[in-house]
Amino acid sequence: MNTSARHFAVTLLPLIAIAIPSEMRAQSSTPSHNFEVGTPFPTLSFPSLDDGRPASIADFRGQKVILHIFASW
Amino acid sequence: MPGWHNATESLQEVGRVQMVGIIQEQHPDRARLFMQWKQMGWPILVDSYDLLEAPHVPISLAIDENGVIRNVLPAMRENGSVTEDFLEESFGSARDEPAAPTPRPDVAALYARARSEGSAQAWKAYGDAIAVWGGAGRVDQAIDAYKSVVSEQPEDGMAHFRLGVAYRMRYDSDGRRDGDFQKAVNEWSAALEIDPNQYIWRRRIQQYGPRLDKPYPFYDWVATAREDIQARGEEPAPLAVEPRGSEFASPEREFVASLDAPPEPDPLGRVLRDEDQFIEIEAVAVPAVVAPGDVTRLHFSFRPIQRTEAHWNNEAEEMVLWLDPPEGWEVETRMYSYPLPPEVVSLETRVIEAEIRAPQELGRGPITIPGYALYYVCEDVNGICMYRRQDLEVEVRPRR
Repeated sequence: MNTSARHFAVTLLPLIAIAIPSEMRAQSSTPSHNFEVGTPFPTLSFPSLDDGRPASIADFRGQKVILHIFASW
Repeated sequence: MPGWHNATESLQEVGRVQMVGIIQEQHPDRARLFMQWKQMGWPILVDSYDLLEAPHVPISLAIDENGVIRNVLPAMRENGSVTEDFLEESFGSARDEPAAPTPRPDVAALYARARSEGSAQAWKAYGDAIAVWGGAGRVDQAIDAYKSVVSEQPEDGMAHFRLGVAYRMRYDSDGRRDGDFQKAVNEWSAALEIDPNQYIWRRRIQQYGPRLDKPYPFYDWVATAREDIQARGEEPAPLAVEPRGSEFASPEREFVASLDAPPEPDPLGRVLRDEDQFIEIEAVAVPAVVAPGDVTRLHFSFRPIQRTEAHWNNEAEEMVLWLDPPEGWEVETRMYSYPLPPEVVSLETRVIEAEIRAPQELGRGPITIPGYALYYVCEDVNGICMYRRQDLEVEVRPRR
């Protein structure tokens, strides 16, 4: 990968977004993330909070899922 | 998030929609307490290392029966509701091939590959696997793996972030080593220098940083949650690491330097020194790099040393911390005390936090903030109790 080009990009972008002051602003602005409509959600496994066993969003095949990526802070 | 839970509760009950959470948090059990408080029983997956590379939270997604993202959902108010059309509008009808779960990674194979290839990418893959699946017992290996990544690829912000998460996990574990917390903060700072847009990374530093830097108090809800849960006759879910100090202090809009000047407790330095014999001190500044006029938060943790069978003696006065900031540096107060627990003897790690503001004129070199602690401690080898002083210092570097 061209790391110098990537670095260039990430050092310029902040000028636009760094002033976002609060959680509220982050919520109301257009989400910019890696989760594109029309693409499969990553099938990575994570430990489940209850018992540490591997779990993945792909385990919920056959169901309509509302997924929240969040933190309790 | 309780908004979407409440709005779709009737759909959840009849199995027409499944709520799932992925948490981006250093201490995942806090999310368990939050879920218990809000009476939300759905599955939660833990992503403390941000393997998803989520740049902020919260993000709400509608995912169809085949694992395809159909919609990015807006925030929902707690008393909001959905109409019958919601499912059709948000999910449509599935038509793609179902996604298969990625199996749990083969940690041993990834390690062998990292050893033979030695590339940053291979070490990162192994680091991610051992960090997430190795548990607290394998955090040393995760740290070594991520260190290999950042030495090979110093501009990899995500590797710096994950290395910081691993250091902080070790700091919170029994395997803690000197400097782990400071290293965590340094790695998170390095990550943010590389990419300041990563909100998740920023939050980790804010969690332990000055109150002024917080957009809102982070864990102030914990006390209310426990009260409400107990009032329902339930036992609140336990937390491995209690939130404290910087984590739940309400944000204050200005830095208030105390006008009263308490008398210095040992101005002539006559109290005998504990030279890392009974109590081990870790002193950390968050952030460790400051600009003129910035506020930084100092964390001092004090742990009885097991080797000498030391423990706190709580029958006398409170433990105190005295700070002696250099000229021009302002503190809220110079003297801090730690309220004694009710037991006569105890072994807890004591934490005292303080905020300090840099002067408008900062030199180029690192600045040392000295201080000392005074405490009562006993050791069980010879059965002696003592009053001891330990000198300490925190280093802060000026932003270049």
